[in-house]
Amino acid sequence: MTTADATAPGEPILIVDEVSKHFPGVVANDAVSVEIRRAEIHCLLGENGAGKTTLADILYGVYRPDEGRVLLHGQQLELSSPRDAIEAGIGMVHQHFELVPPMSVIENVVIGTQAKQWLDLSEARSRLDDFFADYDVEIDPDAEVGRLSVGEQQWVEIFKTLYFGVEILILDEPTAVLTPQGVEELFRILRRMRDDGLTIILITHKLKEVMELSDRVTVLRRGEVVGTVNTGDVDQRDLARMMVGRDVLLQVDKHRRDPGDPVLEVSDVHLVSDTGRGSLDGLSVTVGAGEIVGVAGVSGNGQNALFDAVIGVRHPDTGTIRIAGTDVTDSPPHRIAELGVASVPGDRINQGLMMDFSVKENLVLGDQRDQRFARAGFLSRNRIDSFAEESIERFEIKTPSATQKTRTLSGGNLQKIIMARELSGDPRLIVVHQPTRGLDIAASEYVRRRLVQERDRGAGLLLLSEDLDEIFQLSDRIAVIYDGRIVAVTEPEDTTLEEIGMHMAGASGADASTTAAP
Amino acid sequence: MGDFFTYSVILGIFVATLKIATPLLIAATGELVAESSGILNLSIEGTMTLGAFAGFVTANETGSLWLGLLGAAAGGGALALLMAIMTVTVRVNQVVAGLALNILGLGAAFFWYRSVYSAGGSIQIPVVDKFEVVSVPLLSSIPIVGEVLFEQHWLTYIALLMVPTTWMFLNRTKYGLELRAIGHNPEACDMRGVPIASRQYAAVIFGGAMAGVGGSFLSLAATGLFFPDIVAGRGWIALAIVIFGNWRATWILAGSLLFGFLEATQLALQASDVNLPYQLLLALPFVLTILALVLNRSRSGAPLSLTIPYHRGER
Amino acid sequence: MSEPTTQAPPEDPADGRDLRPNLGAMLSRSGGLRLERRLDTRPVHEFYATVAALAITAVLIGGLVALAGVSPTDAYSALYDGAFGSVESALETLVQATPLILTGLAAAVAFRAGVWNIGGEGQFFAGAMGAYFVSTLVGPLPAPLLFVAMFVGGAIAGALWASIASVLLVRYGTNEILTTVMLNFVILYGLSWLLAGPWQSPKTPYYQTERMDAKTFLPRFIDDSRLHWGFAIALLAAVAVYFLVQRTSLGYELRGVGVNRTAAAYKGIHVGAVVIAVMAISGALAGISGAGELLGLHHRLQLDIAAGIGFTGIIIALVARLNPAGVVVVAIAFAGLLNGSTSMQVGTGIPAALVEVIEGVALFLVLLAAVACRYRLRRRRQLHD
Repeated sequence: MTTADATAPGEPILIVDEVSKHFPGVVANDAVSVEIRRAEIHCLLGENGAGKTTLADILYGVYRPDEGRVLLHGQQLELSSPRDAIEAGIGMVHQHFELVPPMSVIENVVIGTQAKQWLDLSEARSRLDDFFADYDVEIDPDAEVGRLSVGEQQWVEIFKTLYFGVEILILDEPTAVLTPQGVEELFRILRRMRDDGLTIILITHKLKEVMELSDRVTVLRRGEVVGTVNTGDVDQRDLARMMVGRDVLLQVDKHRRDPGDPVLEVSDVHLVSDTGRGSLDGLSVTVGAGEIVGVAGVSGNGQNALFDAVIGVRHPDTGTIRIAGTDVTDSPPHRIAELGVASVPGDRINQGLMMDFSVKENLVLGDQRDQRFARAGFLSRNRIDSFAEESIERFEIKTPSATQKTRTLSGGNLQKIIMARELSGDPRLIVVHQPTRGLDIAASEYVRRRLVQERDRGAGLLLLSEDLDEIFQLSDRIAVIYDGRIVAVTEPEDTTLEEIGMHMAGASGADASTTAAP
Repeated sequence: MGDFFTYSVILGIFVATLKIATPLLIAATGELVAESSGILNLSIEGTMTLGAFAGFVTANETGSLWLGLLGAAAGGGALALLMAIMTVTVRVNQVVAGLALNILGLGAAFFWYRSVYSAGGSIQIPVVDKFEVVSVPLLSSIPIVGEVLFEQHWLTYIALLMVPTTWMFLNRTKYGLELRAIGHNPEACDMRGVPIASRQYAAVIFGGAMAGVGGSFLSLAATGLFFPDIVAGRGWIALAIVIFGNWRATWILAGSLLFGFLEATQLALQASDVNLPYQLLLALPFVLTILALVLNRSRSGAPLSLTIPYHRGER
Repeated sequence: MSEPTTQAPPEDPADGRDLRPNLGAMLSRSGGLRLERRLDTRPVHEFYATVAALAITAVLIGGLVALAGVSPTDAYSALYDGAFGSVESALETLVQATPLILTGLAAAVAFRAGVWNIGGEGQFFAGAMGAYFVSTLVGPLPAPLLFVAMFVGGAIAGALWASIASVLLVRYGTNEILTTVMLNFVILYGLSWLLAGPWQSPKTPYYQTERMDAKTFLPRFIDDSRLHWGFAIALLAAVAVYFLVQRTSLGYELRGVGVNRTAAAYKGIHVGAVVIAVMAISGALAGISGAGELLGLHHRLQLDIAAGIGFTGIIIALVARLNPAGVVVVAIAFAGLLNGSTSMQVGTGIPAALVEVIEGVALFLVLLAAVACRYRLRRRRQLHD
């Protein structure tokens, strides 16, 4: 599996020495020093924006450090591209796979590796067969990659990297796309690879994974190293404190109230998506006024289709959707919005905003024909301006002016623009998808507090999130989505992370006690 | 109407089919290679026109038709180089860049033509001795098939050979695999050290050179003449054939032959005494192109990153 | 270690499409300065960049002219004299600018919505044919109504012709670039059939209609010039397009569809309806252009009335960066080129076809300039190596 043994197990193989990396307005890495030892599993732990991925990208040749150096086997590394890194023996699997979906597994593996003019897949094929047999992975080398499951695609990515004979493998949040069972299998194999001599660097923000898998862990916070510790010497609480810089994870105060009349009733909705993946298969869920229903699930189980169906971007093949009693199954998005439905999409930049519009234009997106902002087809500039000023103040949007181009704002402020817009009409139903993904702690806290305020005002919220902490913090009821349907509905007080995790993996569909009627 | 379906007319249609399909096939196959790399080059019409003139003027000056072909390839390739600079390096919107260079190609050909061949306001247009039809020994004596397939221009044989060659290149060579991979996901290739920009440059320039050669078929083989609207929409039809052919070399051959056949039939109808207004027949290929695009809507072969510029580090 | 390129943090949401370009990397190696991406481009910069691009165009073309053995100053002064050298020639330039403004606006409004209407030429013909057809129907109407009817007829014909492409686009996803181009050819052959048959004037062997009744002639502003009311209509159209795009709900939607169709759909904008509306407006503008040329200048349908006006409109729109006021200015400048090129050809022997090269080069450089002004030069930080 690995190449020349310049270092014995346990000896430092890769040393990051006072590395700094600046981006305009941001210090992503500030004099970061880490020592990676041969044949260990080393976690880089930190919140979003802590600088983990930037550090990994430096090791992988995507970025150059502004200051400091990286030593591999005691030699200073000069990487100007990922190709250099791979040749030096460092490979990386990103969160977003670098695959070519219409091509076969084997074609994906050989891209960039062929020495001869004519394609010769035989060597790759035999090594691929050996590898998959060795680690009990069943994937057809001739299958089209786009048709594989996300977990299988990850295996293709990992093998693609190992095919080069790297001795250090960096994995960026590899479990984000996996079920708990998939995680278990991945961890089992990663341990075996370590035992075979591979050095593994795992980027994560999940404490549990760190505890379960790693030998040592380096905690990053705001671009700085908080410390490196042996995993055996600490517990989750210690790591959490190092990671967040304070004792407890944030808590949002909420007062349980009985939900009012249903504002959203989704019943037995089937919706086949174009790609075949992420379809809805008889999904039912209900949200009452004044409650937050959190939908937990591993991504790709139908969250996008559910979001789209509720706001009317896609229409169910069968089943019905009602908003406050009105059947909207086949209504277009603007009709549904008129009924008091607001939405905060998961992909802010592509689905929620016009990045090339000004802030104030984005604040009225979707309401450009509403009589608040338009008269007889003409936009009322005064009203838009005053609404924009008011929103910027009320939602603490940090922007030089209302006419600023939206593209220039930070992620937290983008989300605040969307929130300001969506909450402005006092909606009765708010559909929210991954509301804090990619936001820093302060912005996340702000967003979550606002969502609870809306609930307290009496709005119903459908919260789709892959972040279980967020689900537990905010939800009055938790529904678990798996394979296009809701497999369990429960209240946060009556369940545990583990139980929800089991449902997310589709492991306990027979458990009738929690599979309450929606 | 009865006279129309005579043996010689029908044979003539088939012979003409290949001839008419030749420039379409060359240009569309070149464009296939360019688009496989993720760059949509809309300037084919202008590139073919420039190629038609560059080939013509070279052949006329040097007396060599083969040098003329080289000139046509150089002219088309030069315009495509500008396209590559704009789309790969500077990353102007590919549609806009293609439209701009289309206009530049047409304008340059027109201006160059006027500069060379208009003395004192009157235009003296020379004629070059065009490529002769080449009979393949033995094969051309096979009845019917021989006449249709083996008594054609060199360029027609080359065009037909381009189909399997291009297929082999795209599907059976390292560069072809990597080129298609770039067209689908340039970042994946970049991460593995496949040079993106140089491959895209090569593909776009090849496509432009082929469009130039395709255009020069019109001036050097079909007519022996150059006039500014000699391409007459064939560049746009070639673009449509790539889409209609779902980015597959074999389907592009089929599409080119289909258009060649329709055009040949149309010409035969014009020549016959069948009473149809010829203007409407002339409009037919364009109507059929639209129909073909509407009827065959499969885009499964389209490069996933077509028209999307690649920036390292964007995720 | 070579120089760093401009970079932005991956967590930065602004890490959008245009960061870290090859261009920046290329240029930044050249000295102690580096290029940095601006996230926000200012109209002022775009204006300067466009002016600079046009200046470079003038220099390059001057070089080309010099290569042809003619003094660039002679060529340019002949060009200028022909275009703006006298009141007569300046007015004639405005005459030629009139249809260009309208086809330029037609392209600009469609491109703003990301709808690539390349069919301005065909819609121009449709407009002229529509106006002619209406004139044959409603000849007896009194003057003001007659003009309204003919222009409306032209606008509707242009809109309908364009709508073939937009309906196919919305319904079947058929590439509108190709369909609009194909439709240009179709209508040209269709018109030539009409002119050879049903609409052909019995008095001539040429492919043209009979000269239209004098009361269908658009009034002229002054006796000595061909400048007709069409010019005023073109200016009004520019103002109308500005208001439509910037001040109306539909304009907001069409800009939104042009910027991000996904977000538009998620926020309840009916993308298909906007595309159809925009294409109809665009086709109508080109149609009005055709109607204006017919009623203001030609007074009979012929095959050469368009003479590339639809295509030139596309260049004008792009050079003007899709800005309506810019379209007016650029259209007048291009009309000056067209108008002046004849006297340049007579005076210096440079073919009038040079104009097409100028247009192409100008567009090429303006596009480059548009990208260039997204960067600024910064003195590079001192880095250890």
